[in-house]
Amino acid sequence: MKTKIFLVMLVVGAFCAVQPAQAHHAFAAEYDLTKPVTLNGIVTRMEWANPHGWIYLDTKEPNGAVKHWMIETAAPSQLSRHGLKKADFTDGMTAVVKGYQGKTDPGLANGRTLVLKDGRNFYIGSVGGPNDGAEPQ
Amino acid sequence: MDYFRHHAAAAAVLLAAASLLAGCSKPAPEQPPPAAPPYHPVASIREVMNSVIDPNVDVVWNAVKTVIDHGKPIEHAPANDEEWAAVRHGAMTVSEGANLLMMPGRAVAPPGAGSLAPGIELAPDQVRALIDKSPSGWNQFARALQDSLQPAIAAIDKKDAQALFEAGDKIDEVCESCHQVFWYPAPGTSAQASAQAR
Repeated sequence: MKTKIFLVMLVVGAFCAVQPAQAHHAFAAEYDLTKPVTLNGIVTRMEWANPHGWIYLDTKEPNGAVKHWMIETAAPSQLSRHGLKKADFTDGMTAVVKGYQGKTDPGLANGRTLVLKDGRNFYIGSVGGPNDGAEPQ
Repeated sequence: MDYFRHHAAAAAVLLAAASLLAGCSKPAPEQPPPAAPPYHPVASIREVMNSVIDPNVDVVWNAVKTVIDHGKPIEHAPANDEEWAAVRHGAMTVSEGANLLMMPGRAVAPPGAGSLAPGIELAPDQVRALIDKSPSGWNQFARALQDSLQPAIAAIDKKDAQALFEAGDKIDEVCESCHQVFWYPAPGTSAQASAQAR
């Protein structure tokens, strides 16, 4: 019985670990405005989905270890409005994301800008984000 | 002068006669007090959001998306009647869930519950005060949520994945607009002003 419960918990835990958070919350409830991050890494996955997109980025830690980031973006319609396309996400692409780290999950961030290798710079911030000058006027 | 005196006397007689007639007629039947509504809200608004709205709108949102894995796009959309029916179920549940939000007498949160993010998201009594200040604004947002589901339901009925994806974006806009008024308002935002601006 205990083994069964453990297995169920393991499966549920694994499922939760790869599912982006869906519930709505205020930006400042989920992300730490005192912890801006600049993440330079390789994009492994992009979820072009409502109500938010998700960029999965691998960065290299000072000790050489790879850190996996999940970065929340605006909804796809807003990304498109700012010129970003699904086709921009190519295999092995590097990118720099600026944003804010999650309050409870150190591998979670909310992206404000995305700079691709060719120098194109996109605003990817969610609605309700801080007024930090990232949003194009 | 006599002319006015004569008319005033006639008016007084008529008034007296009318009063007598009124006194003789049957009194108007007493209106029964308004019946208490037959429904009984059990869940708070927070619980309706967490148990009805949120999980079901996720079904609508997650139905259509593109996952680009190492540069390879994988399109996700309902693939058969059963999957489309599941998404329709979600969309209908959110549509009707909006009515639950409009029902008077529903608590904002369970007794004793506080803000989920103090200092950032309002406490239940603060949300209550905003709703009471502008019940029409609150209801307008709930109706807007309901209305935002209509294009999604139409897209589902046509099995049009792209239209469903686009409808999902509009639903989120409505959610966020309401949250920014009643749940985590920006300083200087008033419920009524925001509702009227819509």
